[in-house]
Amino acid sequence: MHGAVCLQRLPVVSQDRSPIEEEFMELMHQMELERSLLSDHELRLLEDAARMSRKQEEDYDSDEEEEDYRDKEIVTAQDLEDTWEQKLKQFQPALRSQVVDKKDVSSSERCLADSLILLVKKDVGSQKLWLLPQIQWQMGETLRQTAERALASLPGADLKATFLGNAPCGFYKYKYPKDIQKEGSVGAKVFFFKALLSSHKHLPLEKNSFAWVKKDELQDFLKPEYLKQVRRFIMAP
Amino acid sequence: MAGIVCHTVSRILSSQASCSSSVVAVRHSHWFTSVLSLKTSMPLRAEPKKKKKVDPRREIMMKERLKKKLKRLERVPPELIPIEDFITPAKCFDETRIRDAPKLSFEESERRALLLKEWSRYKYAQHQTEMDTINEALEAQRQALDELKLESEELYKAAVSPDTDIFPFQHEGPSYTPPITNYEAPEGKYNDITRVYTQ
Repeated sequence: MHGAVCLQRLPVVSQDRSPIEEEFMELMHQMELERSLLSDHELRLLEDAARMSRKQEEDYDSDEEEEDYRDKEIVTAQDLEDTWEQKLKQFQPALRSQVVDKKDVSSSERCLADSLILLVKKDVGSQKLWLLPQIQWQMGETLRQTAERALASLPGADLKATFLGNAPCGFYKYKYPKDIQKEGSVGAKVFFFKALLSSHKHLPLEKNSFAWVKKDELQDFLKPEYLKQVRRFIMAP
Repeated sequence: MAGIVCHTVSRILSSQASCSSSVVAVRHSHWFTSVLSLKTSMPLRAEPKKKKKVDPRREIMMKERLKKKLKRLERVPPELIPIEDFITPAKCFDETRIRDAPKLSFEESERRALLLKEWSRYKYAQHQTEMDTINEALEAQRQALDELKLESEELYKAAVSPDTDIFPFQHEGPSYTPPITNYEAPEGKYNDITRVYTQ
């Protein structure tokens, strides 16, 4: 009996909108604008525009103007808007899609808008297979502790994760290939536990043994039977 | 000769200034017999005070009156704290703030209606897929627990027992841009004008 961990790195960046979502967002903004009242800032803009047009007229009498606005340097609302825009341009946010190559499967900074699953390459019998990290269960420990041990035993990875609950989220049973079948153990059962990646040092993991993979890309890595069971409990946005 | 003595004596006295200013002139007041005797101030040598019996009664009456007033105040039910979200601010009723409603063309209103219907269909499909994935995951978990029960009761019980360490659970959700590494946010001053009500 084995315990395995399904470690998920949740998305860091929001997803891009689909075309219908874009359209609908535009429509909502427009409708909200139409149904709203004028704000203080907008009123100020209108007043400034009216004052400017009054100044341009020929029969402009500055005494008719109010006390506060006579012969003084006024900061118009438009000037304020311009200064705010300037300040915004000074700030450089980080890029949404990182420079890291999308094909580089070992980096956990890959697709920031999707949730990624950790896969490990393991020797099973004579083959090397991509699997979720798993380890054999030992007497005296609960399966969750087995899963935690599976995570901790990964070489070179300083990954901190929060496990979601004591119960397994899925299981998979398989028969050993005939050459390994011993008496009494025909096959193995693997119980999967879900965990969320909380923090990690951005150390690149070995390329050939670790992979951070999206749900759609799982089919390129996992065997079909294994994949069928694993897909059931992985929820991707 | 006597005059000079008295002058010096008065000077000595004034130089030994004590708080009671009545010590200055020795000869002028009859209360002070001699300079060299003990200096006692007025109240010490007066008669002992007669404790009026009315005083403690008066004090007790004052205290009772205060207590009654306090009780009356406490009986009043406490004022309800106003919920600021439910009170529309006076700014909203200002007529100068109403926008001119734009006139929509026929095509525009048609487009809007069609888009809303499209959106409701899209959202319905999205909801269905979400519910399907959730049910699938629940089913997978139920089957896993059944298998675990077949394996061993102990492990099953350990798996089904509630986990106390998860909560409180904190996770920062996705933002529009990823966080910049080693970013120092500029410090800003702000005036907190939230109204705090006490009952």
